[in-house]
Amino acid sequence: MTQLVQALALGLLIGGVYALMASGLTLIFGVMNIINVAHGALLILVAFMTWKIWSVTGADPILLSILMTPVMFGVGWLLYKGVLSRISGSSPGMSVLLTFGIAITIEGILNVTAGNKFRSATPSYFNQSFRVAGISLPKAQVYGCIAALVVLGLLYLVLTRTWTGRAIRATAQNASGAALVGIQAAGVAALAFALGVATTGVGGSVLSVLYPFFPASHYDWISRLLGIIVLGGMGSMAGALVGALVLGLAETLTATYLSLQWSTLIFYAVIMLVLLFRPQGIFGARLRQDVIA
Amino acid sequence: MAQLHSGGNLARKALSGTGLRVIATGAAVAMAVTACGSGSSGSSGGDSNGPLTIGISLPLTGDFSQPGGEARKGYEIWRDEINAKGGLLGRKVTLKITDDASSQDTVVTDYTRLITQDKVNLVLGTFSSLLNFPASAVAEKNGYLYVEPAGGSPQMFTRGFKKLFFAQQATAGHQPDVFVNYLKSLPADQRPKTAAYPTQDDPFTTPVIQSMQKQLEALGVKTVYTTTYPADATNFQTIASAIAAAKPDLVAQGAVFEDGVGLIRSMQQLNFSPKFLFQTSAPTNGNQYSDGIGAKNTEGVFYTVSWNEKAKTPNNDQFVADYKKKYDNAIPAEDAADAYATAQVLQAAAEATKGVDQTKMAEWLHSHTVQTILGPLKWDATGAPQSQFLLGQWQSGTPEIVAPKAAATVDSAVAKTPWQ
Repeated sequence: MTQLVQALALGLLIGGVYALMASGLTLIFGVMNIINVAHGALLILVAFMTWKIWSVTGADPILLSILMTPVMFGVGWLLYKGVLSRISGSSPGMSVLLTFGIAITIEGILNVTAGNKFRSATPSYFNQSFRVAGISLPKAQVYGCIAALVVLGLLYLVLTRTWTGRAIRATAQNASGAALVGIQAAGVAALAFALGVATTGVGGSVLSVLYPFFPASHYDWISRLLGIIVLGGMGSMAGALVGALVLGLAETLTATYLSLQWSTLIFYAVIMLVLLFRPQGIFGARLRQDVIA
Repeated sequence: MAQLHSGGNLARKALSGTGLRVIATGAAVAMAVTACGSGSSGSSGGDSNGPLTIGISLPLTGDFSQPGGEARKGYEIWRDEINAKGGLLGRKVTLKITDDASSQDTVVTDYTRLITQDKVNLVLGTFSSLLNFPASAVAEKNGYLYVEPAGGSPQMFTRGFKKLFFAQQATAGHQPDVFVNYLKSLPADQRPKTAAYPTQDDPFTTPVIQSMQKQLEALGVKTVYTTTYPADATNFQTIASAIAAAKPDLVAQGAVFEDGVGLIRSMQQLNFSPKFLFQTSAPTNGNQYSDGIGAKNTEGVFYTVSWNEKAKTPNNDQFVADYKKKYDNAIPAEDAADAYATAQVLQAAAEATKGVDQTKMAEWLHSHTVQTILGPLKWDATGAPQSQFLLGQWQSGTPEIVAPKAAATVDSAVAKTPWQ
């Protein structure tokens, strides 16, 4: 029983962090139909910046996300205005190519400036755990999960309680209708993209403590995050959360009762099963073009 | 890095979990190359008085970019040194290095072009078994000698190639021999009684750990836990919990890099510290490793390795000095040393046969021992090396060599300390 509770607790903690990392990716797709393949590279970029500041100043890496988030909001805004806005209205396939190019560019810049080495922030708590009723909860994982919940909560509030958030959601649901009531689609798109990229400010800071990383680590992360949002339903925030928790639990439960070797297979088997019955993912909205197709 | 078999490095992880697929793909590529190859020649083009061109394809970008970049440094330092001494066979050495982007398809294209179009005089190997597997097939098909700095997967040497040579001490299956011998040398009551064997599903780490388990079971060490995890595993708490519950004296992990750091962190979080800890290649990564787990926690960790900066092997001092001079006083990476040694092997064959006849050089290597910065290297008929790795151990924050005696940098091994 303790073993099961331990696996469930760890799975939820891991899933919470995955959800944070996937939230920006699904937001950007939901609003703009852009599959931001550079999301993983942006996470690694933040992880590098966080690691650097931590190693020089000793500032807590997870708290540094307070600094990284506005920085990445700015990076996202500039990326959209300077690069992505030029393919506005093109097919999602074009966005994959463009953002893949951005990912490779970021990887190359990190290779040259930061060096092709593994890094890892190790604040005092990185190898410590909370012990609760015989259950071991790694402190870094707990703090990361708390940060994830805070960000997801704030994102939810912004999207549902502010005019900007409502404009973003309106544009996601019906861009033409939103334009008719006076919402500037271009401005909203830039905002949504910047907001999506801003989430990497927290995700990357947490990543820097939890996992060793190097410039090419982004390939692993983007494939994992794409799996999560496909399972949950591309464009759905709730879907990203559920997809991430399923992945986290798949990892810990298979490792406990089978072998970690099976975890990837089981996660993708779940994706296939869900897509068989719900091609739009668990929380995905079925669009008119999907129905026609 | 120690498991140089694979390419020394962590970055190789992306190829793992897919041993069969790797081999299948490599075989398919090799067959494709054979199908459209230009026939064996064994000769090489170029002006016999002009510069000697050596063709190399390396993973300078992509998953293996880290070891690939280090290999480039090793090759270039060898080139600079030999040109400063008047060149190879009296000819200035030029390296023609291309980037294969860590892709099997591109590495085949690269070596085919280097040999058939650029008509380079010689080739040197690339990094990781994944890339060396198809690349060596291109060289063999075209009659070129192929000395590789990585690629110790046992499958490399089952294809009957005559001109393939792995320029490290041993293949993956023999990597743990030196550690097992060390354990045998301990009084019976000080040896581990029980052991856990977690390993990444990787074509290089798995044979090492399987071989170690077999040898230690024969020695009476009881196996209490085994598991294989995929290359993309990032969370190791559940494996650490299972290990802690089994309480083994020895944890021997087939670790590439992140997985080695990840498992140690998770064992620290559970406050479980085994009496003996062995990891295949993760500990060979210097500061990256000690930064990842905490410098104090490295104390007593064992690993196998092909090279050490303090080794008193021929030319090692000069290699280290030149590397430090060229790269901001950095300590050379093992991957750079392996590449340098690979070039030394090629150099020895060319000088001994007084030319660049590929067949003569290969025949000479099959019957001679070559002195390199890794120590003496010799090969069997398949090109598999027949020496022994070095047993490394972290002591007082520094990677040291504890065995064999001739290469040791410290008097003896130390006991592993509890996590700090």
